[in-house]
Amino acid sequence: MSGMPSPFSFRNVLFPAMLLACLGLMNIYSAGRNTPLSLLWVKHALWLGISFGLAFGIRQREGGQAFQWSIPLYVLSLVVLILVLGFGKTIGGSTRWFSLGFLGTFQPSEVAKWITLLLASHFLGQYQPDRIPKYFLIIFSATILVPMSLVFLQPDLGMALSFLPIFILVPLVRSFRFKSVVVALIALSLTGFWGWKQGLKPYQKERIMTFLNPSKDLRGPGYQINQSRIAIGNGGLWGHGIGGGTQTQLNFIPVKTTDFVFSVWAEEHGYIGVCVVLSLFGLLITRMLDIGIRARTLEESYFAIGAACIFSLHFFVNIGMVIGALPNKGMALPFFSYGGTQTLAFCLVLGLLSGIEHRGVAKS
Amino acid sequence: MNPQVRWLIERSAQKIKWIFILGLGFNFVYYGYVQIIKRGYFQARAQNQAIKLRPIYAPRGILYDRNGVRLVDNVNAYELVIHRDELPINDEVLRSFATEFGLEEDGFLNAVRTYRDEGSGIEPLAIQANLTEAELALAERLKARFPFLSIESSPRRSYRDNELAGHVLGYIGEIDSKTLKRKPGSFQLGQWVGREGVEAQWDSYLRGRDGAKRIMVNRSGDEIAMLDEENAEVGRSLVLTLDLRLQKILQESFEGKKGAGVVLDTRDGAVLAMYSSPSINPNVFAGRMSQAQVDATINNLEKPMMNRAIQGIYPPGSTFKLLTAMAGLEKKVITPETVFYCSGRKNFYGRDFRCDKETGHGAIALIPAIAQSCDIYFYEVANRLDVDDIYASAHRWGLTVNTGIDLPNEKPTRIPSRAWKAKTSPKDPKWYAGETISVGIGQGQVGVTPIGLARFYATLANQGRPVIPHLVYGMKNESTGQVDLTPAPPQPMIFLEPRYWEVLHEGLLQTVQSGTAADSRLRDVDMLGKTGTAQVAKFINRSHYLRQTKSLRDHAWFAGYASKEHPEIAFAVLVENGGFGADSAAPIAAKLVKYWMVDRLQPDRPTSPSLSPSRR
Repeated sequence: MSGMPSPFSFRNVLFPAMLLACLGLMNIYSAGRNTPLSLLWVKHALWLGISFGLAFGIRQREGGQAFQWSIPLYVLSLVVLILVLGFGKTIGGSTRWFSLGFLGTFQPSEVAKWITLLLASHFLGQYQPDRIPKYFLIIFSATILVPMSLVFLQPDLGMALSFLPIFILVPLVRSFRFKSVVVALIALSLTGFWGWKQGLKPYQKERIMTFLNPSKDLRGPGYQINQSRIAIGNGGLWGHGIGGGTQTQLNFIPVKTTDFVFSVWAEEHGYIGVCVVLSLFGLLITRMLDIGIRARTLEESYFAIGAACIFSLHFFVNIGMVIGALPNKGMALPFFSYGGTQTLAFCLVLGLLSGIEHRGVAKS
Repeated sequence: MNPQVRWLIERSAQKIKWIFILGLGFNFVYYGYVQIIKRGYFQARAQNQAIKLRPIYAPRGILYDRNGVRLVDNVNAYELVIHRDELPINDEVLRSFATEFGLEEDGFLNAVRTYRDEGSGIEPLAIQANLTEAELALAERLKARFPFLSIESSPRRSYRDNELAGHVLGYIGEIDSKTLKRKPGSFQLGQWVGREGVEAQWDSYLRGRDGAKRIMVNRSGDEIAMLDEENAEVGRSLVLTLDLRLQKILQESFEGKKGAGVVLDTRDGAVLAMYSSPSINPNVFAGRMSQAQVDATINNLEKPMMNRAIQGIYPPGSTFKLLTAMAGLEKKVITPETVFYCSGRKNFYGRDFRCDKETGHGAIALIPAIAQSCDIYFYEVANRLDVDDIYASAHRWGLTVNTGIDLPNEKPTRIPSRAWKAKTSPKDPKWYAGETISVGIGQGQVGVTPIGLARFYATLANQGRPVIPHLVYGMKNESTGQVDLTPAPPQPMIFLEPRYWEVLHEGLLQTVQSGTAADSRLRDVDMLGKTGTAQVAKFINRSHYLRQTKSLRDHAWFAGYASKEHPEIAFAVLVENGGFGADSAAPIAAKLVKYWMVDRLQPDRPTSPSLSPSRR
């Protein structure tokens, strides 16, 4: 089978992404109504246009060269991450951005995360799975931990955590066992819980909390999550329609164009709308995993599966957080949360995957 | 990629896929639970915080004097409140707010608890009324952190002339719990109501009716849209019977003195002026008062809170002699021609009674006895009467009951009788004839209010037609300017043989023409009146009296009316510790009469009337 499948086919990973982007754009429009951000959707549309344009470009032209560029890109991203700590713009107690004038801000960590994944996949792809030397694992871990620490220092705990799925690449081909992951997670959280309970004095906890969460909620703990839950429940089965949600339109939902953008969707489009978006994400991420299975080379497989895991983390943390199932930790929902750099990064990654998909499908 | 590696990758990826689908399934279920099963709960909460019922305050009716001069304004003040539906449950939040706003913590928490437990309805809890600029800025800042706060513009009273008519107008204040419990359902905790004076008496008319509105608010509590409203009913405006200029003269006359004065229109009982000194400034109460200020006012030894004109009970002294004379005439124990001999003192029932004039008046008839205020003459009259005869006359003249003025808390006049003594002093219930002698000259157990005495003299001026003193002339329609009069109900006439009226009037006229109050005689108009001196402490002799400290000096009275042929005003003036009535009380009355009967009618009357009674 030769030639390219139509971009409007579920066999193309960019298609569910485009659908999600359309819904997300509509949602940003509604969230911004009657606020100073009423034209935010225009900016978002502009970013989406550029990003998807580049994604399709990459899909056509790129043929695996991205991995060759991964080392210089990685070095560059480390330099930029250091620079942002020194010269970045501080918002809400955290230094993460470079100012870009009209286009808003540029957040280097959004891109650094993907470059790290690219480099990690490239490194790991050099070895046969059963021949990975022990010392290499140390280098591999350092590759991830260095940019992750730089992000943590900004401080941006959410973003730092989103580096973690890259580690999954190691056990992927070495007897990956579900059980061991569960045991490791339980052990980790128990240790953390015990350490928090026993090891720290209250003022130390307070300090850590303010460090991790600089723009702390002024209206008391749980206020934001509470308002978000009310909005979701208020949506009911069918939702209140665009501009009809009181929680959204009367500004009860906090930061409703970024972290809590999905509460807006849930209030205005109800459970039906939620199911549509959950299904599209399901489609997108399973498709990404399938690309990993069908890729030509090992590094492409690693990259696709790693990307799917990072996407999943964003997705679960965000929708779990807005409904109160997970703690309030800011992580963007791909294609829904406003954010120029992150939208661009998500699209470029999907563009790369689409290229891999194309070549993989063509060969098999 | 060799097939074995591909197989490994596929196996791991499938596992990840299943974990992902598991997580996705969990979210399908959890969102379904929140959005379908629990939607009623969340929808109610969304509505409760977005849609609020809020009061619309009715503008309070305005008060005018009889010439249409505005006495009070409604002004807007900023008030910091908490609405009932936003009251936080957590006391810690309230505590930290109290500290930051500089409130006394426990007092504030108590107020919140009272409001939470005892009240209901949409009236908010007032934290601080009449915010200053600085407090307003602080409140705005704190609102971001304590979102339950609301800053509202609420109507407040501003009284134009401060102390001028403080007791008459009264003031408004937050409703007290006693009133709230007495009339359940008609008031809400935190509501502002009239607390004294006309503001209290006519509160139900002045207050109007608050409306309510259902509004949509955003997260900051700002009103975004009005969903529906029930309009407030504006309070009725009242035109009072007061004449502001006359009131001003009365106030100025009492500068530095304690006491009270009342001026009535004899024709309909309208109160033209009423002043109690020391006066109160209603703006102090309408504004913000610390507990210390309240205590200081209430516990002030000069008792400024008391409206002496209707609550001060004083022995009427010689002003009471007219009633004794009338009782004597009615009981026919004397005639206008009866003459008694005054030697300056006389013994009744083993006790020496003195006349004011130590050398005595000699043989004296009724008219000069009134004019010269001869005590012996009225001792003799009283001696021929029973105390119950005097009581019966007083009763017929309306002196034994309240005047019925439209002000709260009027104190009743006290006229002794046998029944009264039996009731009030059970240890010594018997009435002694000697006590009647004192009652005859208005001493002893007799006690009247200035308003009661003024009404008595008004009835005298009207030759037996009583009036009910009142302060409201009519209600004004603010949009048309039309005034609906409140007519005074007619009173039954008091009958007295016509020739007796002439005698009593003549006695009062001569008091001013040539008698005890001759110094206050007016050139242009006949003033009729009677001086009185109410004993504070029994005195032994005049020299001793003059050495007495001021607080033990007698109260001075002057009561009467003007003019003889066409009576228009009746008055009673009491100066506490003023000594002789002729010295301190009569000149005040003369100023009032001169203004009303003469100066007021001059086409080019001076803005501040010159007030010097003519002297002989």
